[in-house]
Amino acid sequence: MINRHRIRNILTGYLFIAPWLLGFFAFTAGPFLQSVFFSFTRYNIISPPVWVGTANYQALFSQDPLFWKSLRITFSYALVAVPLGVVAGVTLALLLNAKVFGISVYRTIFFLPSIVPSVATSMVFIWILNPQIGLVNGILRWFGIVGPAWLADARYAFWSLVLMAMWGVGGSMVIYLAGLKDIPIYLYEAATIDGAGPWLKMIKITLPMLTPVIFFNLVMGVIGAFQYFTNAYIITAGGPDDSTMFYALYLFNRAWKYLDMGYASAMAWILFLVVVVLTTGLMKTQKKWVHYGG
Amino acid sequence: MADEVAGNPKSPFRTVIMVVLATGALAWSTFAPTATHHVRPGRIPIRYWHSWSAEWQIVVEDICKEYNQSQDKYEVIPLSIPNGAEAKFIMGAIGGDPPDVMTRWDSVIPTWSDSGLLKPIDEVMSPAEMRYFRANAYPIAQRLGTYRGKLFGVAIGINASALYIRPSLLEAGGYDPQKFPQTYEGLVQMGRKLDKFSKSRGLTQLGFMPNNLSGMSVLFGGGFYDWNKRKVQIETPQNLAALEAIVAEQRRLGYENVIRFNAGLNTASSSGGWPFIGGAYAVTIDGQWRVEQLRKFAPKLDYITAPIPPPKGGRPFGWVTNGNFMVIPKGAKHPDGAWDFIRFWSGLGNPARAAHLFVKGGWLPLTPATAAAPDYQKYIKDNPQFKTFVDLLPSANLQTAPPVAYQQFIVDRITSAEDRAVRGTVSPQEALKTLQLDLQRELMRRRQLGYGDSLP
Repeated sequence: MINRHRIRNILTGYLFIAPWLLGFFAFTAGPFLQSVFFSFTRYNIISPPVWVGTANYQALFSQDPLFWKSLRITFSYALVAVPLGVVAGVTLALLLNAKVFGISVYRTIFFLPSIVPSVATSMVFIWILNPQIGLVNGILRWFGIVGPAWLADARYAFWSLVLMAMWGVGGSMVIYLAGLKDIPIYLYEAATIDGAGPWLKMIKITLPMLTPVIFFNLVMGVIGAFQYFTNAYIITAGGPDDSTMFYALYLFNRAWKYLDMGYASAMAWILFLVVVVLTTGLMKTQKKWVHYGG
Repeated sequence: MADEVAGNPKSPFRTVIMVVLATGALAWSTFAPTATHHVRPGRIPIRYWHSWSAEWQIVVEDICKEYNQSQDKYEVIPLSIPNGAEAKFIMGAIGGDPPDVMTRWDSVIPTWSDSGLLKPIDEVMSPAEMRYFRANAYPIAQRLGTYRGKLFGVAIGINASALYIRPSLLEAGGYDPQKFPQTYEGLVQMGRKLDKFSKSRGLTQLGFMPNNLSGMSVLFGGGFYDWNKRKVQIETPQNLAALEAIVAEQRRLGYENVIRFNAGLNTASSSGGWPFIGGAYAVTIDGQWRVEQLRKFAPKLDYITAPIPPPKGGRPFGWVTNGNFMVIPKGAKHPDGAWDFIRFWSGLGNPARAAHLFVKGGWLPLTPATAAAPDYQKYIKDNPQFKTFVDLLPSANLQTAPPVAYQQFIVDRITSAEDRAVRGTVSPQEALKTLQLDLQRELMRRRQLGYGDSLP
């Protein structure tokens, strides 16, 4: 009887999550698997796909310099913006973990930018980085420095977007903050008895105990970096001189602007494999530096 | 006790029904057809999508109302989609629920037609209507709407570019506006003398600064498409000369200085913020829509318009342009109604009646008959500078971007080549060489994938 009840309960549970399951299979898993097939076809979305074997992949690797350039730009972004985001997030969390009057207000202030929609953030940064009337160059002018054309100069546009990414660091900061709160107080008490100072406590207790959270944010950051799209799409549209042609932006152009969905599907699968390889690599390193004790 | 903990196992059907109802409600709220403004139930609804917003949306909706009042068979239901209209349109077409008719103004006809997204309008026009269109529509309107010999788009507003000139700034620089240069070389010489600088702010007034390689290449006697051979062409002496001319002017002032100068101005402003009004430019190239903008936001501004003068050996009135055009998607439920609406607005049915629709938005007409109609002539009389643009329309030198299936790709790469050359990343020769290489690679790729393009 109990078994029957259990089965009924399980069925009931599944029935309750059925809307999500249906949506997942219809709109995520289905298209995801279907895109494997599309990547081996010539497909313009409207006409039926035509099988072309590995032609899309061959063309990507051998005939498309923009593919390589976009991949290089995205890798560079992941290499720079993700570690910077981790350092900024941890530093901010450490500062906002202090017991100071009005700390919750500070936390709110630093967290707020991360919930502002990307489009709004982009519009604000277009103004902030305007070479003539922008805030950044305005401040630089006080010091007699003529600031560059941040978003219109190929030497600076990429770095401007990296800088912008720091704007949303409040999201990860909150997770780091939760991680800091989770560190047992007795570890610090024991360290104090042993004569450890603040710096030693941070190096020997705080950072090691925070590594699971750092690892989580690192993995999510890498995945996010390889999907970077909105800001580049709105602010620079890939320019100037293709210097911000991120992989996802080029993929989008191929799919929706040039109606080359087969080619874009091949690009998507290469991106997926790159992310899987990098994530797996990170997972393998965690035994060496992530501490789950405590 | 076990029963109590597990919930109420005696009524599983109630649970199932609840779940099914919840799922159904969710699905209905997601997929149910959205409410329309179909207020005339006895008529066939014609769903019309466009991307105009703000004051332009009011004009468009007025035209729809006028159409609805003009007959009793169809009701046009307009929907404004200012952003993301193309993706929505494609998704609608794939899902079998596209609008009946849509207005676009970007380079989509070749790509969309080649992909089978659009219905040839030839199929809904009568032979007499087609003959009339081919005999009367301006050459640029025919080029804009035609792909591989079939008509896929009908222009309801052609765009044309010309010079906007501030006579007072010319006079201040010692030039007589009545003796405006008749060659490109003369224009450039004059422009250089009209540049103004200040020690603290750098460039404060730009005399004349050319850009837009696609347009300039045609002005210089080249262009990226050979209309006789029907082939894309890149590395021609004329295209190179056009790019060199752009680069020379941008480098003369320093590319960064020009960027800085323009960045402080709202060049895209469609109201009183257009920098030309404030005197930032003495002479600039822009489209006919600025005439209407100036009428609304700066009615007292003293300005004149003139065709862009070609260099020696160049093409008078030569430029690349686009327009607002109507398309009918494949899968439209009422293509006949869509065509009826297009015919009404474009003036193919009644050119004189359509004239007052065109002047509502300050749009260039589809045919000379509409341009000659009393309403249109009155508009030109009230806005004499608009005549410059109307006079450009009969010219065969007014061209479009290459009408090839990969048009979007080539337009993007031309822009990128111009960008690289102007920044000094590469020389103009190298920029065109890379462009040629990019194009060849793309065509090789398309050929391997089975597209039927020809190599340039």
